Amino acid sequence: MGRNILNIYCLAVYAFLLAPIFVVVGASFNAGEFLTFPPQGLSLRWYFTFFENEVFLRAIGTSLWIAAVATVFSVVIGTMAAIYYVNFAGRYKEAVRVAALSPLLLPEILTAIALLFFLYDIGIGTKTMFGLLVGHVLMTLPFVFMNVSASLESYDTDWSMAARSLGARPWTRFRRIMLPLIKPGMIGGALFSFVISFDIFTISLLLKSIGTATLPIQLFDYLKTNYTPEAAAVSTLSIVATITVVVIVEKVIGLKMHKF
Amino acid sequence: MTQRKTFLLLLPAGVLLVVFLAIPYVSVFISAFRVPGQGTPYGDGYTLANFTRILGDWFYLGQAVNTMLIGAVTTLATLVIGLPVAFQLARPDLKLRGLFYGIVLSPLLVGIVIRSYGWTILLGNNGVINRTLRGWGWIDGPLPLMYNTLGIVIALTHVFLPFMILPIMAAVQGIDPSVASAARSLGARRPTVIRRVLLPLAMPGIQSGCILVFVLALSSYVTPALIGGLRVKTTAVTVVDAMIDTFQWPFGAALALTLSVLGGASVLIFARLTRMKWK
Repeated sequence: MGRNILNIYCLAVYAFLLAPIFVVVGASFNAGEFLTFPPQGLSLRWYFTFFENEVFLRAIGTSLWIAAVATVFSVVIGTMAAIYYVNFAGRYKEAVRVAALSPLLLPEILTAIALLFFLYDIGIGTKTMFGLLVGHVLMTLPFVFMNVSASLESYDTDWSMAARSLGARPWTRFRRIMLPLIKPGMIGGALFSFVISFDIFTISLLLKSIGTATLPIQLFDYLKTNYTPEAAAVSTLSIVATITVVVIVEKVIGLKMHKF
Repeated sequence: MTQRKTFLLLLPAGVLLVVFLAIPYVSVFISAFRVPGQGTPYGDGYTLANFTRILGDWFYLGQAVNTMLIGAVTTLATLVIGLPVAFQLARPDLKLRGLFYGIVLSPLLVGIVIRSYGWTILLGNNGVINRTLRGWGWIDGPLPLMYNTLGIVIALTHVFLPFMILPIMAAVQGIDPSVASAARSLGARRPTVIRRVLLPLAMPGIQSGCILVFVLALSSYVTPALIGGLRVKTTAVTVVDAMIDTFQWPFGAALALTLSVLGGASVLIFARLTRMKWK
């Protein structure tokens, strides 16, 4: 009895979680001029409108580019830090962890303003994409760090010692022993990093240079003044793309969600 | 490897965090005391005026209090809604567990702008909820769900629910199932087991979930901006307005710092209170 009530309650919560996603997807197939749900007649017209809208296409390109570059930096920097954290940090372990996770613990809005002031002070400002990239690397670093250090916990330093005694050089030891073990963590971290970067808002809003609006910024801008279903079409494509990538990665290598 | 060589592993992350996080935080703290500039982000010299303007004006103080209340209510709502789900998901024998887990994670994959947009479709005066209720003849005029605090709380609850469920689920999964059966074999009824055994053991997860949701809700911008519109503004929205629209950087920095200090203090009080209660 009690269990049934719990199940019904949980189903209601799942419906609540899916509801806004569901209406966005549904509204994107609207045939009418205005955003309504359920849609007034089915049509793909807003998808065609979107494919002709250079502003959105450019924003998607910017988002993909930043997410890709930031992820590469995050994965390299975060993996190195995670290896140090698990194997060599010793009594500074807790300090290294808090430092690596700090971009996540500090309020994003204050971090964005802090970076804005700093970039202005050193004369870089927001004239280039540099600030935007730095902000994205900062915000995605904790996710790579968490994923890689979790996969390293199962790593036994004796293996490295054994390889060393057999004559393996440091680079070989890393490539042949550690890398295969941390690869799932690195891929998971990269995936997280990419998805998070694609969604970063406040940092992008304050640090963007002219003409480098990312997709969330462009969408937000559009929503402030427009009510056509075009935004729903853009959103739906973005949802489908993200879920496809995540499902593929999950099927191919398997993802483990690590605790916060 | 020698100590010096292994340290090189930490170097890139260290440089990144010091140069682009620690130093900027020092600079934002200083900049909150700068005088406003004309045509430039800030002028020469320092002043307390940015802070006296915030602390001396009920507009900003009231807004900060309202923002904190929105954060607190959102935290409470995610806790009440998420706790049973976290307990259900933690059961290893649950059917379709992968699917439900995916649903809990799905908002994280969808993007905050899109989720908030979904809520504007649902909550608007001509939105799904109002039109459905009107269609059924339950209401005459639209219920005020958008452009107010209620709408912001509803949408924020949705946006941050996964951040409450996941840490609690992780904590519950760590509980040894034999603890609960031991309590039951000693004659404790189900509600007692939950209240006296399971909840205290899940407390670390509850605490981190609460802190996470509260902090995220306080500094969130997109959802309050889209749902609140021009009518209800949270402090974070006013901060961004000051930075971008009116170009008052030092004032924006002072306001963001004030909000962060208030938020940090609340988190400390919360941690102190809950630890006292449960230890």
